[in-house]
Order: sequence, then structure tokens, then C-alpha cells
Amino acid sequence: MGKLTRRALLGTAAVGAFGLAAYGGGRVACSFVPRNHPDFFSLLDIPPDGAVARRIGEGALAEASLSSDFDGLAAAMKLRPLIAEAVATDCPTTRRQLVQDQCAADFAEGRCVVIDGWVLSETEASLCAAKLLRPSLI
Amino acid sequence: MIFDLQSGETPKEITGDVCVVGTGPAGVTLALELARKGRSVVLLEGGGEAYEESSQALYEGAVIGHGHIDVAASRLRQFGGTSGHWTGLCAPLDALDFETRADIPHHGWPITRADLDPFYARAHPYLDLGPYRYDWEDWRSIVPFPALPLDPTKILTDVYQQSPPTRFAEKFMETVRADPKIACWTHANLVDVTLADGGDVVTSVAVRTLDGRATTVKAKTYVIACGGIENARILLNARKQRPAGLGNEHDLVGRFYTDHMTIETSMLLFRDDVDTRLYPTSLKYDGAEILMGLKVHPDVVKARNLNNNSAFLVADYGDAVYSDDFRNYGWVAFSTMLKTFSRGHVPDRFAERTCDVVDDLGSVATGVYRHALRRVLPEKPAQAFRLRQDAEQAPNPDSRVTLTADTDPFGLQRIALDWRVTNEDLLRLRRTHQFIGEQVGAAGLGRLQLGVSDPPDPDIAYSGYHHMGTTRMHADPRQGVVDADCRVHSTKNLYMAGSSVFTTGGCANPTLTITALAIRLAEHLAVSA
Ligand SMILES: Cc1cc2nc3c(=O)[nH]c(=O)nc-3n(C[C@H](O)[C@H](O)[C@H](O)COP(=O)(O)OP(=O)(O)OC[C@H]3O[C@@H](n4cnc5c(N)ncnc54)[C@H](O)[C@@H]3O)c2cc1C
Repeated sequence: MGKLTRRALLGTAAVGAFGLAAYGGGRVACSFVPRNHPDFFSLLDIPPDGAVARRIGEGALAEASLSSDFDGLAAAMKLRPLIAEAVATDCPTTRRQLVQDQCAADFAEGRCVVIDGWVLSETEASLCAAKLLRPSLI
Repeated sequence: MIFDLQSGETPKEITGDVCVVGTGPAGVTLALELARKGRSVVLLEGGGEAYEESSQALYEGAVIGHGHIDVAASRLRQFGGTSGHWTGLCAPLDALDFETRADIPHHGWPITRADLDPFYARAHPYLDLGPYRYDWEDWRSIVPFPALPLDPTKILTDVYQQSPPTRFAEKFMETVRADPKIACWTHANLVDVTLADGGDVVTSVAVRTLDGRATTVKAKTYVIACGGIENARILLNARKQRPAGLGNEHDLVGRFYTDHMTIETSMLLFRDDVDTRLYPTSLKYDGAEILMGLKVHPDVVKARNLNNNSAFLVADYGDAVYSDDFRNYGWVAFSTMLKTFSRGHVPDRFAERTCDVVDDLGSVATGVYRHALRRVLPEKPAQAFRLRQDAEQAPNPDSRVTLTADTDPFGLQRIALDWRVTNEDLLRLRRTHQFIGEQVGAAGLGRLQLGVSDPPDPDIAYSGYHHMGTTRMHADPRQGVVDADCRVHSTKNLYMAGSSVFTTGGCANPTLTITALAIRLAEHLAVSA
């Protein structure tokens, strides 16, 4: 394992760390903001760029329990209620929080993977994988 | 009273109600408790009142299994025994440790935690511990820092207590000397045990000094309390009347050697706003020094086929000022002397401590500098932690103490220690850490990176210097050397004291249990001996 900074790891692993206050406040604030409905691709900005997220993405693609193509990953993730909600939300703060909550739910329900030694939720691992596979012509 | 077998006239025979061999925590506690109950005790100590190289050399032996262990330096052969070395971390074994487990062969004692609770409470003053309270619920209203908000049906906040650490020689030597019911003989090495002809009653033990004197001790009852390795060695060497060794009719003496795998690995990273102040250092409240760790709930341990474990959080400070890596013998000696001087006393073992400080002057200087800086710099809590544990091993008959052809000056065969660290034990620890990581993730607190690889690398495991299991307790003589009263199954009046009787090692450091068992044994012998 290479040397990883705590910041990069936390950023990758926790996929954004905002508290409940930010979540609540963010939802209220976002309800006043006019927007276009985003789609699954908006979630791909959540994992940070960089070597760690990349390695996790590669590890996730090698995981038998996860889909290894973009469409399969996107479809599987959209089946998760909080991800479905996140996809339909256009406030980035709320989106992040929903993804984070989905990660916690994954852990609680045993949907976890170990990649590069990290104990991760399937959601965050899948997001890193999807980011790697992001089709270039979109 | 304390006599030196190496000076004055050698008595032909020494007699008493109970002969206790060994003056470590097990032997001294037992002798004091028995004396308090009016029994006359002959207390034998192979070493002197202080350290002597010739005595210590009797502990030398071979390491033939896992290499991160030592059989001589990890024990002390003098009055007070290895309590002269220990670092004082204490906790009782868990109820789970005593249970028979369908998923782990050979697990389970013939007694329960509830049987030991009253004796644990009585053991606390011997070890200068606080109130007998190890449930986080008993402390949460007293300690001003919160526990991590983890699901309590999955992860518990574990409480350990810190002994100063009590040195039995310092604390009890004068008490023993003043006690008319105790005749303690130093330089008195037990070298053989004699049974009545064809029988199962010990009639005497042979005692010798390194300068060639010999005597015999006769008592109604005998207790061997020479430490987890030496207890087995003595029984295996006593082959005059029992060819396989005393108590070894079922080839169990020396087997099931277990230790705690001291491992510091896996990294927990918390969100910046997570309050972790409860964990990295010990805290002093209510007359106790307590240290908190994370323990997987026993129901989960059983359901997931894990070993028991308590993980302590070792802060990984980005800034070296907050690191305690300067703590070594020199620093401990320095801080002890400082505390004693500040109370207006001259520290005991002054010369020894001063030399420790001189040897480790660099660390002491670093420690002083960092402590000074911490007073002026703003407090900066760590958010990254390594997990440090004394991890349990499952009972393993192949992990064992045997005898070698090499002999000591008494002609007793020395030991070979074949400590096994199995992949299964390490993988159980990996799964334990993984579970902690999942729970930390579920609570949204952070993430864990596993440090135990799969397949595991045994080199991460070091001995906790907790030598256990070699004369294990079991109701069935085919599965254990001693019964629930610590009596060697195949004898009427020979008992074992110390961690050699542990059937499972759990993850708690052993000395509190050793002391509790000694008090319990004294209760038993006061009635039966
Ligand atoms: C570095 C270190 C740190 C430790 N830290 C901790 C800790 O934090 N917490 C914890 O619970 N435990 C700790 N321990 C373990 C602890 O020291 C032992 O559990 C404890 O001392 C065992 O007590 P005992 O009386 O059974 O054996 P011992 O203390 O080993 O005493 C055995 C006695 O028997 C005597 N003896 C041996 N052979 C003979 C003979 N043939 N004839 C006569 N006398 C004999 C010896 O001289 C000695 O006095 C630590 C150990 C070490 C080495």
C-alpha cells in the first residue's frame, strides 16, 4: 500500500463529510434554488480525484459482488433508495449527504467490501468504480 | 518471617500447614490470605530478595515456535516474581471467556465469571486498583468525555484499570517478613516432588540452593505458583514416580500454552468532528486510572466465530509533539522518581532507576521537551488511531512447553517453548477489525483500514508476556491438569496457582485473574488443608 494522506483517505472513504445540520440546512436552502434535474452522473463528482479513489475504483471493479460495467453499476446503485433520491436531487450538498447516508445504511446492512485494506460500503466503492468507467462522450 | 537458605545452618526439614512455592502475585497473595486465616505457611522463593543473575539464568530455555517471544527476560526469578516487570494493565476475564463454545474446541472453564467476581473485588487492593467496576455504565456519568456513538448491541466500550504497577517485593516483602504465620525461605529452589509410595498424596518437596545446600519441606498441602511456564516445567521434571511427569497422565502438562498476541495494527480514521478524547490515554477518576477500548459484543463474537478482543486506540498524531513514543524504561524511571521526589520522599531502587534514566537520556529529554510544549501549544486531538490489542488465541494443544535435553545446575531439564500463532487466530482478528470498521461506517463516524492481511503475516504478533494454559483447568481429567479447585487431578494435595491454570486466555491481562484465583484457592485450602 502506498503512503496515503489522511485527508485523501477520508475524502475518498467517507465520500464527503457533512453533518446533519448541513443536511437539514442544505435541504431548506436548496428548496429555493431553481435547477435542472440532474442524473446519475452528478454523483460521480463526489469521490475525489486522485490515486486513492482510483485504486478503490479498480479494486471495486475486481470485486465479484459488484458489477463491472458502467450501466450495471449505475442500475444497481439506483436501486438503493437514498441513491435514487440523490439522483433526483439537484442540490450538491443534499446529494452528498444522501450518498453518505446510503453508505452508512450499506454498512448497517452488511453491504461492505474490503478494497486495498479499506472497509468500505458498496456504494462508495461502486461510485469510485463508476467514476473510472465514466463514458467520455456524455 | 523471611529466612535465607543460603546463610546460617540449613534446617533438615521445614514444616507447615501449606507449602507455597513462588513469591509472585500468585504465591504472595495466597500466603498472606492463608496466614490471615491462621494457617502456617512455608513460602519458598528460588531467587533472593533482589535480582541475582545466577537465579535468573535458571529460567533460560529455547524458543522453537513463533519467534517474537522470550522465555528468560520475560520472567523474574526473585522475591515478587515477574511483578517486578509488569506494566499493570488489569481487567477481569469476560463471562464469555469461561463459557463452552460450540464454535471453538476446548473453550470454557469449569467455573464462571460470577464464581470469580467476589474474588476479583478482593484482588483489587492487592494490585492498588480502584473500585471493582468494569462496566462502562458505571463510569459514563463520572467521565466527562463521551463514548463513540456506536450500536451497543454490536460494539461495547471496554474499561480496563491501571495498577501503578504494584511491585510485590516493594509492597509485601516487609509484611511477609513481619507475619509470624509465614516462614518464607529465599534461595530455596523446588527441585522435586515426592509422592507417598504408589499413592497420590504428596509427602514432601525437595529444595536446593545454588550453592549446594538441600532440605525437605513437609506440609499437608502443596501449591506450586512459579509462573505459567515454570509450573509446567516442574511437573514435567517430576518423573521419579510418574514417568510421564506429575499430573501428566493424559499428556496435557505443557500443552495449550497460550499467550496474548500483542498486535498494533489497522487504522481508524474519524471525521474531524468526532469526539475521541475518551480513548487515547488513561484517565483518573474515582480513585482509579482507567483506559477505554472497543470490544465486539459477546453475542457477535459467538455468531461470527471470533476470538475475544479489546482494541485500544493509539493516537497517530500528525505532530510528533503529541506522540508518546519516548516512553521506555528510562522515561518510566524518570517520571516515577519525579513523582516520588515531589511527594517529599526518596524513590526506592534509586540507583537502578537513575541508571535507567542515564541509559535512556535521549528519550527522557524528548519526553520533558514534549511535555513542556504540550502545556503551551493548543490541544490538538488526533483523528487517526491504530488499534492496539492483546488478542486472544483459541486453545491449541500443539502450542506447548516441552523439556529439552539441556539441564540447569540442579539437573532439571530446561524448557523449549513452541508458541503457535495460527492463521485462523489472525484471520479472526482481521474479521474483528473489519466488524469494527463496519460499525464505525454505519455510525457515519469514519473508516477503517485493515492491518491484518489475508493470508496473514504472523510477524505482526508479539508475545504479551502472558504465559497461560500449561496446566489448564477442566472438570474432566482427560482434558485438564487441574480441577475447578486448582488441584492436580491425579493427586490429593497438590495445587497449581497462576495463569497456567487458565483454560482460555480471553483478552484481559492475566494478573488480576491470577490474584483472584489465589484468593479463591486460599478460601478453599483454609477449609480443606
Ligand atoms: C514486561 C511485562 C509486562 C507485563 N505487563 C502486564 C500487565 O500489564 N498486566 C498483567 O496482568 N500482567 C502483565 N504481565 C504479566 C505478569 O507479570 C504475570 O502475569 C505475573 O507476574 C504472574 O504472577 P505469578 O505469581 O503467577 O508468576 P511470577 O510473577 O512469574 O512469579 C513466579 C515466582 O516463582 C519463583 N520460582 C520459579 N521457579 C521456582 C522454583 N523452582 N522454586 C522456587 N521458586 C521458584 C520465581 O522466582 C517467582 O518469584 C507482564 C509481564 C511482563 C514480563
